[in-house]
Amino acid sequence: MLTPKEIISTLQMVREENLDLRTVTVGINLTDCVSDDIETFKRKIYDKITRTAGQLVATCNRIERRYGIEVANKRISVSPIGVVGAPFNADQMVEIALTLDKAAIELGVDFVGGFSALVEKGMSRGDQALIEAIPQALTESQRVCSSVNVASTRAGLNMDAIKRMGVVIKQAAAMTADDDGLAAAKLVVFANIPQDVPFMAGAYLGIGEADAVVSVGVSGPGVVKAALERAMAEEDNMDLSRAADVIKQTAARLTRAGELVGREVAEILGLPFGIVDLSLAPTPNENDSVGEIFEAIGLPVIGAPGSTAFLAMLNDAVKKGGAFASSHVGGLSGAFIPVCEDLTIARSAAEGTLALEKLEAMTAVCSVGLDMIALPGDTSAEMLSAIIADEMAIGVINKKTTAARLIPAPGKQAGDHVVFGGLLGEGPVMAVNMGNQENRFVRLGGRIPAPIQSLVN
Amino acid sequence: MNKVLISVLGSDQPGIMAKVASIINQHNGNIENLSQTLLDNVFGALLMANLAEDDSAEKLEQSLQDQTRGMNLYIRVHPWQAEPSDWHQNKPETQPYIVTAIGPDRQGLVAEIAGELFKHGVNISNIQAIFKGGKNPMDNLMVFEVDVPRAVVMNDLRDALDAIASRLELEIHVQHRRIFESVSNILN
Repeated sequence: MLTPKEIISTLQMVREENLDLRTVTVGINLTDCVSDDIETFKRKIYDKITRTAGQLVATCNRIERRYGIEVANKRISVSPIGVVGAPFNADQMVEIALTLDKAAIELGVDFVGGFSALVEKGMSRGDQALIEAIPQALTESQRVCSSVNVASTRAGLNMDAIKRMGVVIKQAAAMTADDDGLAAAKLVVFANIPQDVPFMAGAYLGIGEADAVVSVGVSGPGVVKAALERAMAEEDNMDLSRAADVIKQTAARLTRAGELVGREVAEILGLPFGIVDLSLAPTPNENDSVGEIFEAIGLPVIGAPGSTAFLAMLNDAVKKGGAFASSHVGGLSGAFIPVCEDLTIARSAAEGTLALEKLEAMTAVCSVGLDMIALPGDTSAEMLSAIIADEMAIGVINKKTTAARLIPAPGKQAGDHVVFGGLLGEGPVMAVNMGNQENRFVRLGGRIPAPIQSLVN
Repeated sequence: MNKVLISVLGSDQPGIMAKVASIINQHNGNIENLSQTLLDNVFGALLMANLAEDDSAEKLEQSLQDQTRGMNLYIRVHPWQAEPSDWHQNKPETQPYIVTAIGPDRQGLVAEIAGELFKHGVNISNIQAIFKGGKNPMDNLMVFEVDVPRAVVMNDLRDALDAIASRLELEIHVQHRRIFESVSNILN
């Protein structure tokens, strides 16, 4: 017999607190599709994707009803196209992106990730072609997401790649000027990218992964906020130790729900189950915001002094809860602080209580990085690269994943408003210190060496 | 074998179980299984006992009633041949679901939902109500733990319950039991 408390708390999570499975992502290895003939390659990847994930959407819909939990997105991630499409030139890379898009539309999935390159130490021909193709590929496709790993703790920072990415981001934004630079919102630059992220825009299937694998991304900032609010209201001896416990327990419960659904989808599809990525990933809705958790714990607003300390605790407690609840937690697992996708963070940025510099400091302790940040359209490519370099350095030195998803919104000034729609949301254009100036540091190129792993202070 | 089923109902107070059990003991009966519950302040217990061959349900009932006079209890004892019902004898393969009805109490709620479940061949294994009143929807909740035969088309059952929900202005959820277990119970 279930206790009323067990029933009520589960119902509350689903009904009122926006517990959802943000995504069930099927990773599909495309290395066996390799060919130097573009038509053959396109046909093979299309066939493999549609064959492997043919039942994904129908299965998710079935499981969704069985458990009463929404599966918000169904997604595909593939082997990095920079690797499996290495023989092709930039124009052919665009064709590959459009093939991925066609497969995604055919399957009814929301996004397909893996239009990606891993260039932390150097660029192969295929990587170069892919990076050159990114602006057009993301402009002409609807559902394709792209990621480029430009740095790692073991390899250091590839500043040539970072320099290039500033230009690519500017181009992508310029080509989608009518949509505030939407293409750049589907492109993310990484340090230490995990091989098994189910979340976009960074999802791709790592080379060390299985032929096909099901992973889930669980979200639920609203659940954590509600649990904290309840504890703050009801418990006499509330302190931060207790708050950490509440977050940990809540994270464990969210993870359990995710693993249950993920394993069942995997079983029905006849594929192995990969990982649960428990990430507090907001949507642009009330009660589904990471920023609201900061207010629930007593900070005046996200961005106020104390925000970094609380974010460090939140991120760590989420990871601990997740790791306890499931033996296969992976991906990013932690707290995201995207600006445009989070109602409260966007508001705080618009009101000036959260600046780019504070956000950067906070990314040292969050699970991703500078995410979904709209910048003035006149931000120079060099300054974009410099912002990326700063963010990558934080990840490389701290042995963690960091990422930058920057959107220089064409024609927009700091303080203007941009709208990307759907999960990508909307928000203010944030000011960049000396954003439209040159940056000779970036122009130097080369590599920033990998950091020493001893003498740790 | 001289099995009896004993039901005990009344206002909750200390000593009910002590008294009932000791009288069964005086009759050289052995309690084989029992369950007790509280509904507000009302006590209810169901006991399964094996009596001595020369004893009878009537005699035990008489003693129980005589010796608990003053405690305001309703006690009945029935002879019991442990013959399982058709359902239990030919139990179909089932899946455990939780049906929750959220919304204010109203006449006919249980009858409608239970009736619909019965129509689909669904067995209720436990039912509990949480009616605290007030506006919080979670304070007005009826929970049915049910076993749904595999042959039942879940969409049909859901549609039928949805129709009741809209008629009675309720919200009815049908969720597989596993989601409650995995979210609530860390140690499984």
